[in-house]
Amino acid sequence: MGVPLSWYLALSGCLFALGLIGVIIRRNPLLLLLAIELMLNAANVALIGFSRYWNVTDGHVFALVVMVVAASEVVVGLGLVVAVFRARIALDVDQMTSLKG
Amino acid sequence: MGERIAFAIAAAGALGGGIAVISVRSPFRAAVAAIVALMSVALLFLLMAAPFVAAIQVIVYAGAIVVLFLFVIAYLGDRGVLGAPDRVGRWRALGIVGVLALVAQGALLLDRLELPGANDDPRPTDTIGSPEAIGHSFIDDYIVPFEATSLLLLVAAVAAVMLAKKAIQSEGGR
Repeated sequence: MGVPLSWYLALSGCLFALGLIGVIIRRNPLLLLLAIELMLNAANVALIGFSRYWNVTDGHVFALVVMVVAASEVVVGLGLVVAVFRARIALDVDQMTSLKG
Repeated sequence: MGERIAFAIAAAGALGGGIAVISVRSPFRAAVAAIVALMSVALLFLLMAAPFVAAIQVIVYAGAIVVLFLFVIAYLGDRGVLGAPDRVGRWRALGIVGVLALVAQGALLLDRLELPGANDDPRPTDTIGSPEAIGHSFIDDYIVPFEATSLLLLVAAVAAVMLAKKAIQSEGGR
């Protein structure tokens, strides 16, 4: 017996909700980035699930593009975290309100 | 039946890892919990006939991205590990109501889902997940997004270099 599509969609929704809760309640930028990774993975599960359901390859292509976006986002995000750390500002997203370096 | 057991294990790993990521205090432990969640998602990809994406998930996500996280956490030391306190407290009741509403909405949506066969056994697939099929799809149908991702990676690399340069200058270096 296989696993129907709706199970994967339910799991994807739960994972996305977990990531969303993490983004809302956390103030440490490192944990925020990890929660965003969870949300992107939830989207990937839904994409691959639909790809399996319709028997097409397009979802796989988009999942790979999402992974590239996630990698770029982590590189820039961690670069910002390190820059903020070296400028001796507290690692708290509520206090990082100024865009001007 | 075996597929459903594997799904249950992978789903438990993904949800457990996800809960650990958003609930533990230390970023180091959160990153290790993220490895568990990402590996479980890779197992789900294998179940969904996507072996190539599963391999990339393990190499890029659980490999490169989480190791980058661990490097930065090790570099930040104590200050990064302690960090700021969580934003729960005043809005706790409102948050719980919001999460429950979201879950109810999702359950209703899944219940009303009008896709034929979404709750049945999936049909057998062709070779949709093979590297060959994905490569053909990239080059034949999605050549513009493919090139756009390369541009995105270049921009991200330049941005990381500029940020690092600025951080070093702020400390009086070159």
